[in-house]
Amino acid sequence: MAWMNGRTASAVRLLFLFVLAALVAGAIGVAAAQAPQFTPRDEEPEQFPDAPGREETFYTCTACHNFTLVAQQGMSRERWDRTLDLMNERHGMPKLEGKDRAIVLDYLARVFAEQAPAERGWQNPFLKN
Amino acid sequence: MTGKIERSLEELYGDDPERAEALAFGRKTGTSRRGFLEGAGLAAFGAAVGGTVPFAANMPSGLIPSALAQTPPATPAPAPAAPAPALEKKGPQLLNFPGKDGRLVVIGERPLVAETPESLLNDDTTPIDKFFIRNNGQIPETTTEPDKWKITIDGEVNKQLVLTLGEIKSKFKPVTRRMILECGGNGRSFFSPRASGNQWTNGGASAAEWTGVRLADVLKSAGLKPSAVFSGHYGADPHLSGDPKRQALSRGVPLKKLMNENNLIVWAMNDKPLPLIHGFPVRLVIPGWPGSVSSKWLTRIWVRDREHDGQGMGQTSYRVAINPIVPGSKPDFKNFKDLESMPVRSIISNPANGTKHAAGTRGLNLRGAAWAGDYTVRQVDVSIDYGATWQRMNVSKPKNPYDWQRWTGAVKLPSDGYFEIWTRATDSRGVMQPHVAGNWNPQGYGGNPMHRVAVLVG
Repeated sequence: MAWMNGRTASAVRLLFLFVLAALVAGAIGVAAAQAPQFTPRDEEPEQFPDAPGREETFYTCTACHNFTLVAQQGMSRERWDRTLDLMNERHGMPKLEGKDRAIVLDYLARVFAEQAPAERGWQNPFLKN
Repeated sequence: MTGKIERSLEELYGDDPERAEALAFGRKTGTSRRGFLEGAGLAAFGAAVGGTVPFAANMPSGLIPSALAQTPPATPAPAPAAPAPALEKKGPQLLNFPGKDGRLVVIGERPLVAETPESLLNDDTTPIDKFFIRNNGQIPETTTEPDKWKITIDGEVNKQLVLTLGEIKSKFKPVTRRMILECGGNGRSFFSPRASGNQWTNGGASAAEWTGVRLADVLKSAGLKPSAVFSGHYGADPHLSGDPKRQALSRGVPLKKLMNENNLIVWAMNDKPLPLIHGFPVRLVIPGWPGSVSSKWLTRIWVRDREHDGQGMGQTSYRVAINPIVPGSKPDFKNFKDLESMPVRSIISNPANGTKHAAGTRGLNLRGAAWAGDYTVRQVDVSIDYGATWQRMNVSKPKNPYDWQRWTGAVKLPSDGYFEIWTRATDSRGVMQPHVAGNWNPQGYGGNPMHRVAVLVG
């Protein structure tokens, strides 16, 4: 900026700083207009019913999603078994086999079991329980 | 408004669940929501809600009254081997999220999913703070330069395009449409046995004014090859595991739906920039089909020469059985097809479930909404006697295709006591909402039973 005298140069510098500040403020403005990224609350195994396999099941599932999603379900052991297959085949969960699988399945099928069928009234003759 | 009724039942169960079960349902064990009310159970139910139960004789078996269904006992059924430990009992978790109504109900936090109770869908246009939230992955970082956001159109096109949002806004004609967006799993919680996934009631749906350009205009500018038959949509939301090689979700639609003139590439919602949680800076809105095809944070539309095979396509994802299957049975994937148009559904947005009215109240003004995927709603009927008699409501015309239709009407009540108001919409083909969620499928799509709210007079 040799073509400017000192005074003009500092005025230009000041203007540059103003523009920069405005740009930054604008950027912040856009960012501030958007909600901050949501941070899910921490979940602990202890929030869920205590039974053998709770910890193993909790940490298997929460590698991806919250355990509340699991706790919403109510399925037979057979359907939980198929769900583990689905999580492996469709969602990249490491394959659970042998004893590890049995521990997780025992917990899920016991704690998040299919609801008992109605004892009175109309009953589906095809449901095996 | 629902506090009084729910608390009394909660207390009843809280004190002694087994005794409460025996009292309310006239049976000893089990915590099924499919209880059958009779004799002493009915009297106890009347006592529980603090009123008499007119039309009790019409109360369908296999369904429990709405007021009770609101607060199912949270104790899981005992397993054959050993009794399962009790789940901690608590009310719905309410949403705490900047810019969102604190009465939305959280279904999950990771991914973040929250539904809008029916009574909050009382506006003609759903305000942003009440619009439901569905994510499949993480919420991506926001951008400070929305107009530089890039969208790629590639695959079976004559000319691959990489357009910035700024270019999309300037090159194509913008339109604004009020359209309903609905999660494919809306109504899932009504299936029995329970279907897998987020347990939506009817609150995975909302209607906003969307501003954007027609997807078809953009695709035509790229030029579709004769080999183009399907699309695959991609967004910037990272997979829940954080694995950058995995897609949180990538669904698509066949060509006929893809080129529908109502599909938009959208940057504004109710005249405001899209909030980040709804896809800022740009998303798809492909109305009438499961919301998962309307990718948020849109980055790419891959035009394909075959059915898309991205995350969320195939097997039983967003799919329903072709030949109906035994509920709960093992699916044969060959017997499944994509859920396309969402089914007809109506809700009562006023009064809210559990509303109390003064003794002597003999009439109620009702208000609600109805919609039917690719179709329109021909009529809405309401019953206050469990379906024994029906009254036609006044249904508004949609503002534009894929708008929801608002309905209003009034019902007379014959006495004080406990009433349920049931609503049933009929689509333009004559297809009605059923009493129960039918055509069971493992992941619970297409569940659209009639909506019911309980009111107490006196």
